[in-house]
Amino acid sequence: MPFLKDIKYSLHVAMHPFDGFWDLKYENKGKLRMALGILMALTLTMIVKRQYVGYVVNYNHPLALNSINELKYIIFPFLLWCLANWSLTTLMDGEGKFSEIVITTGYTLLPLILINIPNILLSNVITLREASFYHLLDALATLWFVWLLFIGTMTVHQYTVLKTITTMLLTLAVVGIIIFLGLLFFNLIQQIVSFVYTVYQELSLRG
Amino acid sequence: MRIKSSILVLVSVLLLVSLCPRPAGAAPYEGYTYSYWGGAVQSPIAYLPSRAITGLEAGTGAWNAPGDLFVSAEGLLYVLDSGNGRIVVLDKEWNTLRVIEGFQNGEKKDSFNNPEGLFVTDGGRIYVADTENGRLVELDGTGTFVREIGPPKADVIGAGFEYFPRKVIVDKAGRIYVVGRGVYEGLIEFDSDGQFTGFMGTNKVQFDPVDLFWKSVSTKEQREKMVQFIPLEFNNTDVDEDGFIYTTTVDKKTFSPVKRLNPSGIDVLRLSKEIPPIGDLSRDRSAFIDIDVTGNGVYRVLDSTRGRVFTYNEDGKLLYVIGQLGSQLGTFKNPAAVESYENAIYVLDRDLGRITEFTVTQFGSMVNEANTLYSSGKHDEAAKLWREVLKLDANYEMAYVGIGKSLLRQGEYKEAMTYLKLGNDREYYSKALGKYRREYMRDYFSLYMTGIIAVLLGGYVIVRLVKRPRKEGRVQDAVS
Repeated sequence: MPFLKDIKYSLHVAMHPFDGFWDLKYENKGKLRMALGILMALTLTMIVKRQYVGYVVNYNHPLALNSINELKYIIFPFLLWCLANWSLTTLMDGEGKFSEIVITTGYTLLPLILINIPNILLSNVITLREASFYHLLDALATLWFVWLLFIGTMTVHQYTVLKTITTMLLTLAVVGIIIFLGLLFFNLIQQIVSFVYTVYQELSLRG
Repeated sequence: MRIKSSILVLVSVLLLVSLCPRPAGAAPYEGYTYSYWGGAVQSPIAYLPSRAITGLEAGTGAWNAPGDLFVSAEGLLYVLDSGNGRIVVLDKEWNTLRVIEGFQNGEKKDSFNNPEGLFVTDGGRIYVADTENGRLVELDGTGTFVREIGPPKADVIGAGFEYFPRKVIVDKAGRIYVVGRGVYEGLIEFDSDGQFTGFMGTNKVQFDPVDLFWKSVSTKEQREKMVQFIPLEFNNTDVDEDGFIYTTTVDKKTFSPVKRLNPSGIDVLRLSKEIPPIGDLSRDRSAFIDIDVTGNGVYRVLDSTRGRVFTYNEDGKLLYVIGQLGSQLGTFKNPAAVESYENAIYVLDRDLGRITEFTVTQFGSMVNEANTLYSSGKHDEAAKLWREVLKLDANYEMAYVGIGKSLLRQGEYKEAMTYLKLGNDREYYSKALGKYRREYMRDYFSLYMTGIIAVLLGGYVIVRLVKRPRKEGRVQDAVS
């Protein structure tokens, strides 16, 4: 069963990142559909997490919950990261192709799902005093994810450790620039639209 | 036909409802509390305006900018008619008992000059902060002069110190505390003989990080022209039955405008974790100008921004809000002082020269009573009342917490969790959860453990059964 094999491989990546990401790049073992699947699963996990995490650690206002928000907080940042990383590494002698970057980044998200699901279950039976375990696991998931992202970037682009760190930090900066440009773009479009509309209004009222 | 008749019934019911007059005691303000999430939630009205009195109605001539109000232990109302420099004493039925215009100070006839503060001890001694004269005046119940206490004298007080006492309180031991105009060192404390003993309970210095930044980059000349970071002065004070002193600060930025000072001047006010007692949670914050302590740790603060009286319990939780700025009975133009006596709240309006009395409604008295029982630890009796409160106001979070705590003590952990969750009390919810978890595990541990062991054993056996033939096959392969 190829699907089971894919899952087994993604788990292998999470556990043995050096080996896993190498195979991903040079043995073509990484699958785009698997990466996107992980992204979807993560989105789902986060929606479930916001709603069903135990009351003692759940500080979400029930009326403020909105699944569309996950687009903003997960899918959009994911795409931005890939885009920024790709634009940056093409200039910085990175060896990774865009699809490789997407696949790598997708696979690195797996720990978040792996830890979050048991964590949600656990959070429903813990008291306030044991809440630190929940937060510890949460932090571990993030650390694991960052670790994988680091290894992934290093392997895909064949960078040194220092260059990888620089690249990752720069990627964040580029993400900021892209957001800025995006906002500027939409703002200008809005201005143009309103200008055209005013001209049209003026003409139609005169006519 | 059926539809027609049902529409007819509906229309007639609607007509009847709309024809019904509004309840006679409709208040000119809305009752509300704040939810855990900081949103204003409608709530029944706890106190309704019942009557009001002006100086003309009291037969003393109009009051001119009255500055303070005091209700004595016997229920007598002392009005400090600042503009006319006199004290008017009303009894419970609001008949004028006496008017203290002036007093015989030794040889000469003396009077007040724009006094701002008034306090009456349990023994009936009247203390007046005679602001423009820069002194405290003590009178006995009939208005006879007893003594006057002048400005504080000590080495720590500089030569340029200007003494304008604004408010005065006297504790059980006879110590006198004075709020002075422009005195940011805290309350001025005198012993019972009128000797200055020191300042107590200073506010902390407040500063903006932004201001601090500009201050650090500006030149010395610029710095001298800037605002100094000095602690803010108190503007009013009250004392509770245990001798703790409550103070208010008018500052709109601070998150602790109310302080409860212990005898050594340290703030021991209990604050609610979610929303501290700061009045309205709007952008233009409330400015507290008077405080009234009613016992059981309940205190009311008067807000001059919107003319509201906020009542908090000892945990700093908002119980109810009454009043508003306006021109109807029950609203104020420029509220100056708040007092309460038994089931009534009195608010003095400076501009209108009027006292408004508010009497408690059914909802208000249930909340008061439930809160009293609750704060004295009688959770089970309180729970009964909280259930009644919930019938009138299903949004009253404190009631859910009260019932939850009672259920927790009775051992109804599962139900307690439901109520504590509705009341948004995570701490006690977690306690209930811990107890419930233990109980649940005690009942079901053997069952789950048996299940787990059975599954493990079963899995092991299946694995063995599946694997054995394959192993034998391999061995055979190897041999052959």
